[in-house]
Amino acid sequence: MKRAMRINPDDNTATALNDLKAGESISLVSKSGPVGEMTTRQAVPFGHKIAVVDIKKGAKILKYGEVIGLATQPISKGEHVHTHNVESALLPGAKEAR
Amino acid sequence: MEFFGYERPDGSVGVRNHVAVISSGRCANEMAVMIASAVQGVVPIIHTHPCVRLKDDNERALRTLAGIGSNPNVAAAIVIGVGCENPPPAQIAEEIVKSKKPVEALAIMGSNGFQEVLDKGLTTARRMVAEASQMQRKPFPLSHLALGVKCGASNATSGISGNAVTGQVFDRLIAEGGTAIFSETTEVIGATHLLAKRAVNKDVARRLEQMVARMEARIKATGEDIRGSQPTRGNIAGGLTTIEEKSLGAFAKTGTSPLQGVLEYAEKPRGKGLFFMDGTAMTGELIGGEAAAGIQIHIYNLGGGLTSSFRCLPGWAGGLPMLPEIVIVSNPSRPRDSQEKECYDIYADTIIEGKETVDQVADRFFKEIIATASGKPTKQEMRSGYRELLVLYTTGPIL
Repeated sequence: MKRAMRINPDDNTATALNDLKAGESISLVSKSGPVGEMTTRQAVPFGHKIAVVDIKKGAKILKYGEVIGLATQPISKGEHVHTHNVESALLPGAKEAR
Repeated sequence: MEFFGYERPDGSVGVRNHVAVISSGRCANEMAVMIASAVQGVVPIIHTHPCVRLKDDNERALRTLAGIGSNPNVAAAIVIGVGCENPPPAQIAEEIVKSKKPVEALAIMGSNGFQEVLDKGLTTARRMVAEASQMQRKPFPLSHLALGVKCGASNATSGISGNAVTGQVFDRLIAEGGTAIFSETTEVIGATHLLAKRAVNKDVARRLEQMVARMEARIKATGEDIRGSQPTRGNIAGGLTTIEEKSLGAFAKTGTSPLQGVLEYAEKPRGKGLFFMDGTAMTGELIGGEAAAGIQIHIYNLGGGLTSSFRCLPGWAGGLPMLPEIVIVSNPSRPRDSQEKECYDIYADTIIEGKETVDQVADRFFKEIIATASGKPTKQEMRSGYRELLVLYTTGPIL
Protein backbone atom coordinates (compact mmCIF):
# COMPACT_ATOMS: atom_id res chain seq x y z
CA MET A 1 0.00 0.00 0.00
CA LYS A 2 1.21 3.52 -0.78
CA ARG A 3 2.14 5.71 2.18
CA ALA A 4 2.14 9.25 3.58
CA MET A 5 3.99 10.44 6.71
CA ARG A 6 2.22 12.42 9.43
CA ILE A 7 5.35 13.70 11.16
CA ASN A 8 3.70 15.01 14.34
CA PRO A 9 0.46 13.52 15.76
CA ASP A 10 -1.03 17.07 15.86
CA ASP A 11 -0.43 17.68 12.13
CA ASN A 12 -3.43 18.15 9.83
CA THR A 13 -1.28 17.26 6.82
CA ALA A 14 0.85 14.26 5.84
CA THR A 15 3.65 14.11 3.26
CA ALA A 16 3.24 11.64 0.38
CA LEU A 17 6.01 9.03 0.25
CA ASN A 18 4.76 7.84 -3.16
CA ASP A 19 2.92 9.45 -6.07
CA LEU A 20 -0.71 9.15 -4.92
CA LYS A 21 -3.70 8.89 -7.31
CA ALA A 22 -7.20 10.18 -6.59
CA GLY A 23 -9.41 7.68 -4.75
CA GLU A 24 -6.58 5.49 -3.51
CA SER A 25 -6.50 3.80 -0.13
CA ILE A 26 -3.19 4.72 1.57
CA SER A 27 -1.38 3.98 4.83
CA LEU A 28 -0.56 6.83 7.22
CA VAL A 29 2.73 6.41 9.08
CA SER A 30 4.41 8.24 11.96
CA LYS A 31 8.15 8.33 12.80
CA SER A 32 7.60 5.03 14.64
CA GLY A 33 5.41 3.10 12.18
CA PRO A 34 1.89 2.80 10.65
CA VAL A 35 -0.87 4.73 12.46
CA GLY A 36 -3.91 4.27 10.18
CA GLU A 37 -5.37 4.35 6.70
CA MET A 38 -7.26 6.91 4.63
CA THR A 39 -8.52 7.53 1.09
CA THR A 40 -7.20 10.24 -1.24
CA ARG A 41 -9.65 12.59 -3.01
CA GLN A 42 -7.09 14.08 -5.38
CA ALA A 43 -3.75 13.11 -6.88
CA VAL A 44 -0.84 14.09 -4.60
CA PRO A 45 2.70 13.87 -6.02
CA PHE A 46 5.62 12.40 -4.04
CA GLY A 47 6.86 14.90 -1.43
CA HIS A 48 3.65 16.96 -1.54
CA LYS A 49 1.09 17.21 1.28
CA ILE A 50 -2.34 15.66 1.74
CA ALA A 51 -4.99 16.84 4.25
CA VAL A 52 -5.57 14.14 6.91
CA VAL A 53 -8.62 15.94 8.38
CA ASP A 54 -11.09 18.53 7.04
CA ILE A 55 -9.53 22.01 7.29
CA LYS A 56 -11.59 25.22 7.47
CA LYS A 57 -10.78 28.37 5.49
CA GLY A 58 -8.34 30.52 7.50
CA ALA A 59 -7.26 27.58 9.70
CA LYS A 60 -3.63 26.86 10.49
CA ILE A 61 -1.87 24.27 8.33
CA LEU A 62 0.27 22.07 10.59
CA LYS A 63 3.39 20.04 9.71
CA TYR A 64 6.22 19.15 12.14
CA GLY A 65 3.66 20.17 14.82
CA GLU A 66 4.15 23.78 13.66
CA VAL A 67 2.19 26.29 11.60
CA ILE A 68 3.46 26.29 8.01
CA GLY A 69 0.70 28.56 6.63
CA LEU A 70 -3.03 29.36 6.56
CA ALA A 71 -5.79 27.76 4.45
CA THR A 72 -7.09 30.22 1.81
CA GLN A 73 -10.15 28.00 1.19
CA PRO A 74 -11.81 25.00 2.85
CA ILE A 75 -9.74 21.83 2.31
CA SER A 76 -11.35 18.39 2.61
CA LYS A 77 -9.64 15.34 4.06
CA GLY A 78 -7.78 13.58 1.23
CA GLU A 79 -7.19 16.71 -0.85
CA HIS A 80 -3.84 18.05 -2.08
CA VAL A 81 -2.54 20.85 0.19
CA HIS A 82 -0.27 23.32 -1.63
CA THR A 83 0.11 26.89 -2.93
CA HIS A 84 -3.40 26.83 -4.50
CA ASN A 85 -5.09 26.56 -1.07
CA VAL A 86 -2.41 27.69 1.44
CA GLU A 87 -0.46 30.91 1.93
CA SER A 88 2.39 31.86 4.23
CA ALA A 89 1.40 33.25 7.61
CA LEU A 90 4.70 35.12 7.64
CA LEU A 91 4.66 36.68 4.21
CA PRO A 92 1.00 36.91 3.08
CA GLY A 93 0.85 38.08 -0.50
CA ALA A 94 4.29 36.65 -1.31
CA LYS A 95 2.57 34.15 -3.60
CA GLU A 96 0.94 36.90 -5.69
CA ALA A 97 4.18 38.87 -5.85
CA ARG A 98 6.08 35.92 -7.28
CA MET B 1 26.32 5.17 27.35
CA GLU B 2 29.97 5.89 26.67
CA PHE B 3 32.62 6.09 23.96
CA PHE B 4 36.38 5.52 23.98
CA GLY B 5 38.37 8.71 23.41
CA TYR B 6 41.66 10.46 24.13
CA GLU B 7 41.73 12.69 27.21
CA ARG B 8 43.34 16.09 26.60
CA PRO B 9 45.09 18.24 29.25
CA ASP B 10 42.21 20.79 29.25
CA GLY B 11 39.67 18.06 30.09
CA SER B 12 38.25 17.75 26.56
CA VAL B 13 38.16 14.36 24.83
CA GLY B 14 39.35 13.66 21.30
CA VAL B 15 37.89 10.96 19.05
CA ARG B 16 41.04 11.09 16.89
CA ASN B 17 44.71 11.56 17.81
CA HIS B 18 46.21 13.58 14.97
CA VAL B 19 49.23 15.85 14.93
CA ALA B 20 48.18 18.92 12.93
CA VAL B 21 50.44 21.15 10.85
CA ILE B 22 48.61 24.44 10.43
CA SER B 23 49.75 27.01 7.90
CA SER B 24 49.29 30.54 9.24
CA GLY B 25 48.76 31.98 5.76
CA ARG B 26 48.32 30.61 2.27
CA CYS B 27 52.02 31.16 1.44
CA ALA B 28 52.91 28.42 3.95
CA ASN B 29 50.51 25.75 2.60
CA GLU B 30 53.23 23.97 0.68
CA MET B 31 55.46 23.62 3.75
CA ALA B 32 52.55 22.25 5.78
CA VAL B 33 51.78 19.67 3.08
CA MET B 34 55.48 18.70 2.75
CA ILE B 35 55.68 17.93 6.48
CA ALA B 36 52.33 16.13 6.61
CA SER B 37 53.15 13.93 3.62
CA ALA B 38 56.58 13.02 5.04
CA VAL B 39 55.41 11.94 8.51
CA GLN B 40 52.63 9.40 9.08
CA GLY B 41 49.99 10.52 11.57
CA VAL B 42 50.30 14.19 10.63
CA VAL B 43 47.46 16.08 8.92
CA PRO B 44 47.84 19.40 7.09
CA ILE B 45 45.42 22.28 7.76
CA ILE B 46 45.74 24.49 4.71
CA HIS B 47 43.56 27.37 3.52
CA THR B 48 43.49 30.47 1.34
CA HIS B 49 43.79 33.24 3.97
CA PRO B 50 46.00 36.01 2.56
CA CYS B 51 47.75 38.76 4.54
CA VAL B 52 45.69 41.43 2.80
CA ARG B 53 42.45 41.38 4.80
CA LEU B 54 40.71 43.73 7.23
CA LYS B 55 40.68 43.42 11.04
CA ASP B 56 37.42 41.44 11.41
CA ASP B 57 38.55 38.84 8.91
CA ASN B 58 42.04 38.57 10.41
CA GLU B 59 40.55 38.06 13.87
CA ARG B 60 38.17 35.43 12.56
CA ALA B 61 41.08 33.66 10.84
CA LEU B 62 43.00 33.65 14.14
CA ARG B 63 39.98 32.28 16.02
CA THR B 64 39.42 29.58 13.37
CA LEU B 65 43.01 28.37 13.01
CA ALA B 66 43.68 28.50 16.76
CA GLY B 67 40.34 26.78 17.40
CA ILE B 68 41.19 23.94 14.99
CA GLY B 69 44.56 23.53 16.71
CA SER B 70 42.80 23.44 20.10
CA ASN B 71 40.19 20.93 18.88
CA PRO B 72 40.29 17.77 21.02
CA ASN B 73 40.92 15.60 17.92
CA VAL B 74 44.35 17.24 17.69
CA ALA B 75 46.96 15.75 20.05
CA ALA B 76 49.64 18.32 19.22
CA ALA B 77 50.08 21.12 16.69
CA ILE B 78 52.75 22.82 14.64
CA VAL B 79 51.91 26.28 13.29
CA ILE B 80 54.10 27.17 10.35
CA GLY B 81 54.46 30.33 8.29
CA VAL B 82 56.67 32.91 6.71
CA GLY B 83 56.22 35.16 9.74
CA CYS B 84 54.76 38.20 8.01
CA GLU B 85 51.19 36.82 7.93
CA ASN B 86 48.29 38.20 9.88
CA PRO B 87 47.85 36.28 12.14
CA PRO B 88 51.52 35.16 12.38
CA PRO B 89 52.38 31.60 13.55
CA ALA B 90 53.42 32.71 17.06
CA GLN B 91 50.08 34.43 17.70
CA ILE B 92 48.09 31.33 16.63
CA ALA B 93 50.32 29.10 18.78
CA GLU B 94 49.80 31.41 21.81
CA GLU B 95 46.09 30.72 21.57
CA ILE B 96 46.47 26.95 21.07
CA VAL B 97 48.80 26.66 24.08
CA LYS B 98 45.85 27.72 26.29
CA SER B 99 44.48 24.20 25.68
CA LYS B 100 47.73 22.97 27.34
CA LYS B 101 48.61 20.62 24.48
CA PRO B 102 52.07 20.56 22.87
CA VAL B 103 52.37 23.28 20.22
CA GLU B 104 55.29 24.74 18.27
CA ALA B 105 55.40 27.88 16.11
CA LEU B 106 57.86 27.93 13.21
CA ALA B 107 58.55 30.92 10.96
CA ILE B 108 61.04 31.49 8.14
CA MET B 109 61.58 35.14 9.15
CA GLY B 110 64.23 35.19 11.87
CA SER B 111 65.55 31.76 10.85
CA ASN B 112 68.34 30.70 8.50
CA GLY B 113 65.84 29.99 5.78
CA PHE B 114 63.27 27.61 4.32
CA GLN B 115 65.28 24.40 4.64
CA GLU B 116 66.07 24.98 8.31
CA VAL B 117 62.38 25.56 9.13
CA LEU B 118 61.34 22.54 7.09
CA ASP B 119 63.89 20.30 8.86
CA LYS B 120 62.77 21.62 12.24
CA GLY B 121 59.16 20.99 11.28
CA LEU B 122 59.90 17.39 10.28
CA THR B 123 61.84 16.69 13.50
CA THR B 124 59.09 18.24 15.63
CA ALA B 125 56.37 16.35 13.77
CA ARG B 126 58.13 12.98 14.31
CA ARG B 127 58.57 13.71 18.01
CA MET B 128 54.94 14.78 18.41
CA VAL B 129 53.65 11.67 16.58
CA ALA B 130 55.80 9.45 18.82
CA GLU B 131 54.44 11.16 21.96
CA ALA B 132 50.83 11.04 20.74
CA SER B 133 51.20 7.32 19.99
CA GLN B 134 51.59 6.65 23.72
CA MET B 135 48.12 7.99 24.55
CA GLN B 136 45.42 5.38 25.14
CA ARG B 137 41.67 5.54 24.52
CA LYS B 138 39.60 5.51 27.71
CA PRO B 139 35.85 5.34 28.30
CA PHE B 140 34.00 8.67 28.65
CA PRO B 141 30.32 9.56 28.97
CA LEU B 142 28.59 10.96 25.85
CA SER B 143 28.41 14.36 27.57
CA HIS B 144 31.98 14.85 26.24
CA LEU B 145 30.79 14.63 22.62
CA ALA B 146 29.93 17.59 20.39
CA LEU B 147 28.46 17.13 16.91
CA GLY B 148 28.11 19.62 14.09
CA VAL B 149 25.76 19.36 11.12
CA LYS B 150 25.31 20.63 7.60
CA CYS B 151 22.69 19.58 5.09
CA GLY B 152 22.99 19.57 1.35
CA ALA B 153 21.09 18.51 -1.74
CA SER B 154 17.86 19.10 0.19
CA ASN B 155 14.55 18.16 -1.33
CA ALA B 156 10.99 17.57 -0.13
CA THR B 157 12.05 14.38 1.63
CA SER B 158 14.86 15.97 3.68
CA GLY B 159 12.53 17.18 6.43
CA ILE B 160 10.89 13.78 6.86
CA SER B 161 13.88 11.46 6.39
CA GLY B 162 17.51 12.59 6.87
CA ASN B 163 16.74 15.72 8.87
CA ALA B 164 14.18 13.92 11.04
CA VAL B 165 16.76 11.20 11.80
CA THR B 166 19.52 13.74 12.57
CA GLY B 167 17.10 15.69 14.78
CA GLN B 168 16.39 12.56 16.85
CA VAL B 169 20.12 11.85 17.14
CA PHE B 170 20.75 15.43 18.33
CA ASP B 171 17.94 15.10 20.89
CA ARG B 172 19.41 11.83 22.17
CA LEU B 173 22.95 13.21 22.48
CA ILE B 174 21.70 16.35 24.26
CA ALA B 175 19.62 14.18 26.62
CA GLU B 176 22.93 12.44 27.49
CA GLY B 177 24.47 15.84 28.29
CA GLY B 178 26.25 16.33 24.95
CA THR B 179 26.45 19.27 22.58
CA ALA B 180 25.28 19.92 19.02
CA ILE B 181 26.02 22.90 16.77
CA PHE B 182 24.20 23.95 13.61
CA SER B 183 24.67 26.95 11.36
CA GLU B 184 23.63 28.52 8.03
CA THR B 185 22.39 31.98 8.94
CA THR B 186 20.94 32.53 5.47
CA GLU B 187 18.59 29.59 6.07
CA VAL B 188 17.03 31.47 9.00
CA ILE B 189 16.24 34.69 7.08
CA GLY B 190 12.46 35.15 6.93
CA ALA B 191 11.82 32.53 9.61
CA THR B 192 13.83 33.86 12.55
CA HIS B 193 10.91 33.77 15.00
CA LEU B 194 10.39 30.02 14.39
CA LEU B 195 13.89 29.39 15.73
CA ALA B 196 13.92 32.26 18.25
CA LYS B 197 10.96 30.77 20.10
CA ARG B 198 13.15 27.76 20.96
CA ALA B 199 15.72 30.02 22.70
CA VAL B 200 16.23 29.38 26.44
CA ASN B 201 15.83 33.07 27.20
CA LYS B 202 15.11 36.47 25.63
CA ASP B 203 18.78 37.34 25.45
CA VAL B 204 19.56 34.32 23.24
CA ALA B 205 16.49 35.07 21.07
CA ARG B 206 17.62 38.69 20.66
CA ARG B 207 21.16 37.69 19.74
CA LEU B 208 19.80 35.29 17.10
CA GLU B 209 17.60 38.05 15.64
CA GLN B 210 20.55 40.46 15.54
CA MET B 211 22.80 37.90 13.88
CA VAL B 212 20.24 37.10 11.18
CA ALA B 213 19.51 40.82 10.62
CA ARG B 214 23.24 41.45 10.23
CA MET B 215 23.52 38.76 7.53
CA GLU B 216 20.45 40.12 5.74
CA ALA B 217 21.88 43.67 5.82
CA ARG B 218 25.12 42.33 4.32
CA ILE B 219 23.17 40.74 1.47
CA LYS B 220 21.06 43.88 0.92
CA ALA B 221 24.24 45.98 0.76
CA THR B 222 25.05 44.16 -2.49
CA GLY B 223 21.71 45.30 -3.93
CA GLU B 224 19.96 41.91 -3.60
CA ASP B 225 16.95 40.99 -1.48
CA ILE B 226 16.52 37.26 -0.94
CA ARG B 227 13.19 37.59 0.89
CA GLY B 228 10.21 36.80 -1.27
CA SER B 229 12.32 34.47 -3.39
CA GLN B 230 11.67 31.60 -0.94
CA PRO B 231 10.55 28.92 -1.43
CA THR B 232 12.07 28.68 -4.91
CA ARG B 233 10.15 27.38 -7.94
CA GLY B 234 12.05 24.13 -7.60
CA ASN B 235 11.04 23.84 -3.93
CA ILE B 236 7.36 24.43 -4.86
CA ALA B 237 7.51 21.82 -7.62
CA GLY B 238 8.93 19.45 -5.00
CA GLY B 239 6.01 20.05 -2.65
CA LEU B 240 7.21 22.84 -0.32
CA THR B 241 4.41 25.40 -0.02
CA THR B 242 5.69 28.27 2.16
CA ILE B 243 8.94 29.67 3.56
CA GLU B 244 7.87 28.44 7.02
CA GLU B 245 7.62 24.89 5.73
CA LYS B 246 11.05 25.08 4.10
CA SER B 247 12.70 26.55 7.20
CA LEU B 248 11.01 24.13 9.59
CA GLY B 249 12.16 21.23 7.40
CA ALA B 250 15.71 22.55 7.69
CA PHE B 251 15.38 23.12 11.45
CA ALA B 252 14.12 19.53 11.79
CA LYS B 253 17.78 18.44 11.72
CA THR B 254 18.32 20.24 15.04
CA GLY B 255 15.72 18.18 16.88
CA THR B 256 13.49 19.67 19.54
CA SER B 257 15.97 20.74 22.25
CA PRO B 258 15.97 24.34 23.45
CA LEU B 259 18.51 26.69 21.86
CA GLN B 260 21.11 27.33 24.58
CA GLY B 261 23.14 29.97 22.83
CA VAL B 262 24.20 31.78 19.68
CA LEU B 263 27.85 31.72 18.61
CA GLU B 264 29.95 33.84 16.35
CA TYR B 265 31.74 31.82 13.65
CA ALA B 266 34.48 29.68 15.27
CA GLU B 267 33.41 30.68 18.80
CA LYS B 268 33.45 27.95 21.47
CA PRO B 269 30.16 27.26 23.23
CA ARG B 270 29.99 27.87 26.98
CA GLY B 271 28.02 24.97 28.38
CA LYS B 272 26.31 22.00 26.76
CA GLY B 273 23.22 21.52 24.60
CA LEU B 274 22.11 22.97 21.26
CA PHE B 275 23.89 26.02 19.78
CA PHE B 276 23.48 28.07 16.62
CA MET B 277 26.61 29.44 14.92
CA ASP B 278 26.80 32.30 12.42
CA GLY B 279 27.85 30.92 9.06
CA THR B 280 27.00 30.49 5.41
CA ALA B 281 25.72 27.50 3.46
CA MET B 282 29.20 26.79 2.08
CA THR B 283 30.24 23.43 3.49
CA GLY B 284 34.01 23.93 3.54
CA GLU B 285 33.55 27.16 5.45
CA LEU B 286 30.95 25.93 7.89
CA ILE B 287 32.99 22.86 8.88
CA GLY B 288 36.00 25.04 9.80
CA GLY B 289 33.90 27.17 12.14
CA GLU B 290 32.29 24.16 13.82
CA ALA B 291 35.67 22.39 14.18
CA ALA B 292 37.12 25.54 15.78
CA ALA B 293 34.19 25.50 18.21
CA GLY B 294 35.33 22.04 19.29
CA ILE B 295 33.04 19.50 17.59
CA GLN B 296 34.69 16.07 17.30
CA ILE B 297 32.40 14.62 14.59
CA HIS B 298 30.63 16.30 11.70
CA ILE B 299 27.35 15.06 10.23
CA TYR B 300 26.73 15.74 6.54
CA ASN B 301 23.09 15.24 5.83
CA LEU B 302 22.32 14.67 2.17
CA GLY B 303 18.82 14.76 0.75
CA GLY B 304 20.20 12.61 -2.00
CA GLY B 305 19.61 14.64 -5.10
CA LEU B 306 22.38 16.27 -7.08
CA THR B 307 25.20 15.99 -4.56
CA SER B 308 25.09 12.23 -4.34
CA SER B 309 25.87 12.23 -8.04
CA PHE B 310 29.35 13.29 -7.03
CA ARG B 311 29.75 9.93 -5.34
CA CYS B 312 32.78 9.60 -3.14
CA LEU B 313 34.62 12.77 -4.02
CA PRO B 314 35.45 14.57 -0.78
CA GLY B 315 35.65 18.03 -2.36
CA TRP B 316 31.98 18.86 -1.95
CA ALA B 317 31.95 17.64 1.65
CA GLY B 318 34.65 20.14 2.63
CA GLY B 319 36.54 17.45 4.48
CA LEU B 320 38.84 18.69 7.20
CA PRO B 321 41.43 15.94 7.81
CA MET B 322 41.25 16.11 11.64
CA LEU B 323 37.47 15.84 11.71
CA PRO B 324 35.62 12.59 10.95
CA GLU B 325 32.53 13.22 8.86
CA ILE B 326 29.57 10.85 8.84
CA VAL B 327 27.52 11.19 5.66
CA ILE B 328 23.85 10.24 5.71
CA VAL B 329 21.94 10.06 2.44
CA SER B 330 18.20 9.73 2.50
CA ASN B 331 16.46 9.76 -0.82
CA PRO B 332 16.32 6.85 -3.24
CA SER B 333 16.09 9.36 -6.10
CA ARG B 334 17.60 7.04 -8.67
CA PRO B 335 19.15 3.59 -8.76
CA ARG B 336 22.61 3.50 -7.25
CA ASP B 337 25.48 1.64 -8.82
CA SER B 338 27.60 -0.67 -6.72
CA GLN B 339 30.30 1.91 -6.04
CA GLU B 340 27.85 4.54 -4.86
CA LYS B 341 26.53 2.03 -2.34
CA GLU B 342 29.99 2.11 -0.76
CA CYS B 343 30.26 5.91 -0.54
CA TYR B 344 28.17 6.90 2.44
CA ASP B 345 28.04 5.90 6.10
CA ILE B 346 24.29 5.80 6.66
CA TYR B 347 21.60 5.08 4.07
CA ALA B 348 18.19 6.32 5.20
CA ASP B 349 16.39 5.60 1.92
CA THR B 350 14.59 2.88 3.83
CA ILE B 351 12.29 5.48 5.46
CA ILE B 352 10.91 6.57 2.10
CA GLU B 353 10.80 2.96 0.88
CA GLY B 354 8.87 1.84 3.96
CA LYS B 355 11.49 -0.69 5.09
CA GLU B 356 12.50 1.16 8.29
CA THR B 357 10.98 3.86 10.50
CA VAL B 358 12.65 7.16 11.44
CA ASP B 359 13.19 5.73 14.96
CA GLN B 360 14.97 2.62 13.62
CA VAL B 361 17.33 4.62 11.38
CA ALA B 362 18.03 7.05 14.26
CA ASP B 363 19.03 4.05 16.43
CA ARG B 364 21.40 2.79 13.75
CA PHE B 365 22.83 6.28 13.24
CA PHE B 366 23.38 6.87 16.96
CA LYS B 367 25.33 3.59 17.23
CA GLU B 368 27.44 4.63 14.23
CA ILE B 369 28.29 7.94 15.93
CA ILE B 370 29.46 6.13 19.08
CA ALA B 371 31.50 3.67 16.97
CA THR B 372 33.07 6.56 15.03
CA ALA B 373 33.81 8.40 18.28
CA SER B 374 35.53 5.25 19.54
CA GLY B 375 37.82 4.99 16.51
CA LYS B 376 35.89 3.41 13.62
CA PRO B 377 37.00 5.28 10.49
CA THR B 378 34.28 6.91 8.40
CA LYS B 379 33.98 6.12 4.70
CA GLN B 380 35.67 9.42 3.92
CA GLU B 381 38.55 8.70 6.34
CA MET B 382 39.12 5.33 4.63
CA ARG B 383 39.73 7.08 1.33
CA SER B 384 43.11 8.70 0.99
CA GLY B 385 44.29 11.24 -1.51
CA TYR B 386 42.62 14.49 -2.34
CA ARG B 387 41.71 16.82 0.55
CA GLU B 388 39.75 20.03 0.21
CA LEU B 389 41.22 23.35 1.38
CA LEU B 390 39.69 24.92 4.46
CA VAL B 391 37.69 27.99 3.46
CA LEU B 392 37.65 30.79 6.03
CA TYR B 393 34.49 32.80 6.62
CA THR B 394 35.07 36.39 5.57
CA THR B 395 32.83 39.44 5.46
CA GLY B 396 35.21 42.09 4.16
CA PRO B 397 37.03 42.64 0.89
CA ILE B 398 40.53 41.48 0.05
CA LEU B 399 42.70 44.61 -0.03
